[in-house]
Amino acid sequence: MLKNRLIHFITVAVVFLLSCTGAEKHSGFKVALLSPGPISDAGWNASAWEGLQRIKSELNAHVSQVETRVPAEFEASFREYGRMGYDLVFGHGFEFQDAAATVAQDFPETVFITTSGNTVRKNVAPMVFQLEQATYLAGALAALMSKTGRIGGVGGIKIPPVQSTFAAFEAGARAVRPDIKVSFVYIGNWENVGAARQAALALIDQGCDLLIHNADAAAAGVFQAAAERNIYVFGTNKDQNTIEPEHVLASCVSDIPGAFVTMAKIVRDKKFAAKIYRLGMRDGIVSLVINPRLADRIPASARERLVSLEQRILSGALNVPGLP
Amino acid sequence: MPEFAVPLLAGAVTLATPLVFAAVGEIIMEKSGVLNIALEGTMLVAALAAAFVTYFTASPAAGLAAGVAAAVLFGLLFALFAVGIQADQIVTGTAMNIFALGLTGVLYRSLFGFSGTRLAVAGFQPWPLPFLKDIPVIGTVFFSQNVLVYAALVLTLLVAAALKRTRTGLYLQAAGENPQGAEVAGISVYRLRLLAIMTGSALCGLGGVFLVLVEGNTFVEGMTAGRGFIALAIVILARWQPVRALVVALVFGLASALQFQAQAIGIDVPYQLFLALPYVLTILFAMLVGRANVPAALAKPYIKE
Repeated sequence: MLKNRLIHFITVAVVFLLSCTGAEKHSGFKVALLSPGPISDAGWNASAWEGLQRIKSELNAHVSQVETRVPAEFEASFREYGRMGYDLVFGHGFEFQDAAATVAQDFPETVFITTSGNTVRKNVAPMVFQLEQATYLAGALAALMSKTGRIGGVGGIKIPPVQSTFAAFEAGARAVRPDIKVSFVYIGNWENVGAARQAALALIDQGCDLLIHNADAAAAGVFQAAAERNIYVFGTNKDQNTIEPEHVLASCVSDIPGAFVTMAKIVRDKKFAAKIYRLGMRDGIVSLVINPRLADRIPASARERLVSLEQRILSGALNVPGLP
Repeated sequence: MPEFAVPLLAGAVTLATPLVFAAVGEIIMEKSGVLNIALEGTMLVAALAAAFVTYFTASPAAGLAAGVAAAVLFGLLFALFAVGIQADQIVTGTAMNIFALGLTGVLYRSLFGFSGTRLAVAGFQPWPLPFLKDIPVIGTVFFSQNVLVYAALVLTLLVAAALKRTRTGLYLQAAGENPQGAEVAGISVYRLRLLAIMTGSALCGLGGVFLVLVEGNTFVEGMTAGRGFIALAIVILARWQPVRALVVALVFGLASALQFQAQAIGIDVPYQLFLALPYVLTILFAMLVGRANVPAALAKPYIKE
């Protein structure tokens, strides 16, 4: 009880302070973001922040952001923004959907969008990135490049959107090399860099010579391990090719900022419909971006294979398994 | 010895090292009667200072010094409340943890946050010890590590010896068992507790430095990820003895390394169980053993008459 009240109080204080900062003139369209982690993570949360900033400049909206870590905070913050009359509130992650559904019925004028998820209400909808299309291609590329026949991945928390990107990675690998061995290690959070490094080293010790991650900020440990043992890794969510330019072979990118702007325009123009918004390669939101510095290390045959797989995904001939 | 055992044990040592630093630092403080639960915050502050200074000087040694200095400053702030104005130590420690998370976040973002690039710093390279590194298994596991791992080993033994065999060590324990009596015997309890907080925070700071200069070569907000609290649990499990703390930390390190290895091999382990393990063990242990060995004046502010 006391804890909830404390969290509530802090949220109110933070929201109030944050709203004080944007005193300049705006259109009256108000957009807020609940991020599950620090917006300085150069990954998942940073892209949401970038999206919010683009909404601010491109739609001339008033924006606000708060970092929330536990479900009690999700609900309290959603409620606070609803009460303050925000038109659109993003909950940046699968874990926000229950809180959004609970709060949304009390604030029918506010639209709640969660990034990934499957909960739809009158004013609640998820936007789902079909990042699996890109991790499928990454898996195929990994299998084509692996010398040991073993590849793997390091995940943060074992939640469906992470598991599905890994499932697609594995499916892509098997599509080009049926006997490939694929293992994944979860560390149980999104910040523990040291744990992510050990998890990656454990995979490398098992013979994995290409790794993917889906661990947000903790991925720093995966990049570190890749550099130490001189193997290739794939970035996820954002273009992370420059983080370890000699070791990040490619990145599975969701144009999260672009998607945020798209959704904000839909809500502003009153075109919001209660449905799952699916955004993928065909919408230009998802792609596999090869690191230009390492492009010449990919054999021409592998590259051709990759292009043909990509074409089949774009044309709809290939349905990536596990796609939300 | 199976092939996977050596990397497994080496991984356990790496995972244990920051826990050892923080736990041994906490033992010094608790022995003097100060319960400083702000280990998490102390490590974070040290980690950020180490990252910044290493980034701007390209020298891990300078980063290490800055990390320790920041931890000591943070400890002094804690001491100002906990010793200076005899505030409740748990409340002070909790506030310091929250403060550190916010402070490091704001500072990090103000310098690197929104550029989209990641802060990358030079770290400590492995430094195998001549001769010792050639011992089978143990040579690779313990003696092919980096300088901070050796420091953790040496400092643990030093602290254990100092607490038992030096005058300051005994005075420190007197301040934690019976501060009034110690004061009568001519010992300044304030001074000793201040010294304990500074030394303990410095050690804890090394744990934070380790995260940046060995494990990640970068700073990530909240990268301590609960290690400060696991260290508190280790202190209880180790019954306030530094060498036992080292052993418990190694067991925890081994448990984590083992579950990563198990997942990597393809055994589907419920990793949540391993995350809960330190806390579950501590609660069970505390229930079984009770208050044996707890410094009598622990967490009680000392007010001089």
